[in-house]
Amino acid sequence: MRRSAAEIALSLGVVALGAGAAAVSATLPAEGGYAGIGPNAVPALVSAALILLGGWLAWEAFSGGWRNAPPDDAAARGEHPFDPRAFAWVTAGLVVHMAAVGAAGFVLAGAALFACVARGFGSRRPARDAALGVVLCVALYLFFVRLLNVGLPAGWLAPLLGVAGT
Amino acid sequence: MEAFAALASGFAVALKPANLFWGFVGVTLGTLVGVLPGVGPALTVAMLLPLTAKLDPTGALIMFAGIYYGAMFGGSTSTILLNTPGESASIATALEGNRMAKAGRAGPALATAAIGSFVAGTLATVALTLLAPLVVELALKFGPAEYFALMVFAFVTVSAVLGRSTVRGLASLFVGLLLGLVGIDSQTGQARFAFGVPELLDGVDVVVLAVGLFAVGEALYVAAYQSRLPASLERLRGRVTMTREDWRRSWPAWLRATAIGFPFGTIPAGGAEIPTFLSYTVEKRLAKRPEEFGRGAIEGVAGPEAANNAAATGVLVPLLTLGIPTSATAAVLLGAFQNYGLQPGPMLFQSQAELVWGVIASLYVGNAILLVLNLPLVGLWVRVLAIPRPQLYAAILVFATLGAYSLHQSWVDLAMLYVFGLLGFAMRRWDIPVGPAVIGLILGPLAETQFRRALAISQGDPTVFLAQPISAALLALTALAVLGPWAVRRLRRR
Repeated sequence: MRRSAAEIALSLGVVALGAGAAAVSATLPAEGGYAGIGPNAVPALVSAALILLGGWLAWEAFSGGWRNAPPDDAAARGEHPFDPRAFAWVTAGLVVHMAAVGAAGFVLAGAALFACVARGFGSRRPARDAALGVVLCVALYLFFVRLLNVGLPAGWLAPLLGVAGT
Repeated sequence: MEAFAALASGFAVALKPANLFWGFVGVTLGTLVGVLPGVGPALTVAMLLPLTAKLDPTGALIMFAGIYYGAMFGGSTSTILLNTPGESASIATALEGNRMAKAGRAGPALATAAIGSFVAGTLATVALTLLAPLVVELALKFGPAEYFALMVFAFVTVSAVLGRSTVRGLASLFVGLLLGLVGIDSQTGQARFAFGVPELLDGVDVVVLAVGLFAVGEALYVAAYQSRLPASLERLRGRVTMTREDWRRSWPAWLRATAIGFPFGTIPAGGAEIPTFLSYTVEKRLAKRPEEFGRGAIEGVAGPEAANNAAATGVLVPLLTLGIPTSATAAVLLGAFQNYGLQPGPMLFQSQAELVWGVIASLYVGNAILLVLNLPLVGLWVRVLAIPRPQLYAAILVFATLGAYSLHQSWVDLAMLYVFGLLGFAMRRWDIPVGPAVIGLILGPLAETQFRRALAISQGDPTVFLAQPISAALLALTALAVLGPWAVRRLRRR
């Protein structure tokens, strides 16, 4: 019988999410005026539903696997096996961007993101990718800040980009 | 005719030079982003939503009408040339469209898609113009109980009835509903699930959820499972025109598909997936040479593309008249309205008639812009498709983070974006639908409000939902929609 660890983990994750939400709901006030239900009522309902649905998913996972699920074998889906390095490069790009955008600014953080993601997708020319990223981000920066008045951080490049940023 | 007088005033708004300009910008950007492989209309609208933060509401919403249609046409271009449907509604187009492109007939395939979208979109907008005032009149009689029942019905049909698994659809919906509860309760001011984080007091923004699930999740998925696969882009040879024969075969398909697509769009049936396949099947049945299907029959592109656009317009009926989004794209559009403090629904037709009819008029204008812009410019869009995958996905993620960051200028939104990206990755891998989560996030708080209002009116008596005939009927229909297929299966097994 098919039994997938990932499906079991996801099912229990839904149960845990519901249980956590139920614990938070219990701390919310219950007085509700005329309606008789307070701000805690709908959270409690949603939490209960998540626990039930997680249980249902777990039951499916333990009794032959989720119904109509995609095949576990990547080749049967027409794909290659999970590539941890590609996944890690995309993640690294997003994390670096998250950490850097405030201080280094939109253009430099965006260029780093661009280079990391391109690397994850198999590009082998990081310097060229970073340069492309700078060009794209400068264009976006000018378009957003000058034309659409959306504020973006100029960061370390503030002297070059002018004072239009925030 | 009252509707036409209102529409005329709407055209006066939509044809103002500034608004016309935003319409053009919207169609161009919508097509440009929508043409990117793997980027569907919901993601296009979500990524471009922050662009309009500083525009006046009318201009911004007119721009969104353009983005909505542009995204759809861009999606069909990449589907035909690259065979990567950005959304389930494009799968039917991919069947014949990509075969036509492989046979060197990409030009006629793109032409019938563009002209068919225009014809279907325009006819469907006429239907919307006539239908909307009637629905508004009906909706004005709805009380909170009826609204709540209608929303429950929409929740259940989009998550449980469609798709391959009822329980996975419902799990997605309830995760969305839970995310919708984050932030300040609109009725008591109580903070819920915010954990003292100021960014969370505003609630989870639909842009962050949609872009995280669709863009970041998709990028992680493609990187992990598809980045080493070769990509095959069909070349566009010759001009984007149709022969007399192509016209003769296309126009009946467009008209039939409009008649199929629009009604499906107006009911909560999960958007355009069912009508596109229905139109494909109908065209295959009626074709004089059904043997051509599977090898590039033009009817098989003309029908589903027209059905897709007609359904996409039909989706705007419940969105504008009732404030109920029935597809992920509509949910993001509703988020765009809410950014301006506007709540679509019957009241908006009265309090902001000029804006609503301006948006409806701009649907006609947007369709026309799409046609004049895309037939000549299709060569340019094709060049966008030729960007190698590493740089393409890098650019998509730069766009995605830009949208999320510009909301509060805070890294917290970027952290949420990544968490939703991981969630989107898992949902894609284990076939959990994403749409119900987005709809749950945006519609959940509205449903809660109506629920509590209805109970306040009835002094806490929960039978109020069964006492009103309309709400009782809707709840019965909901139960039937969930339990009906299950009961039929049980009976058959005996």
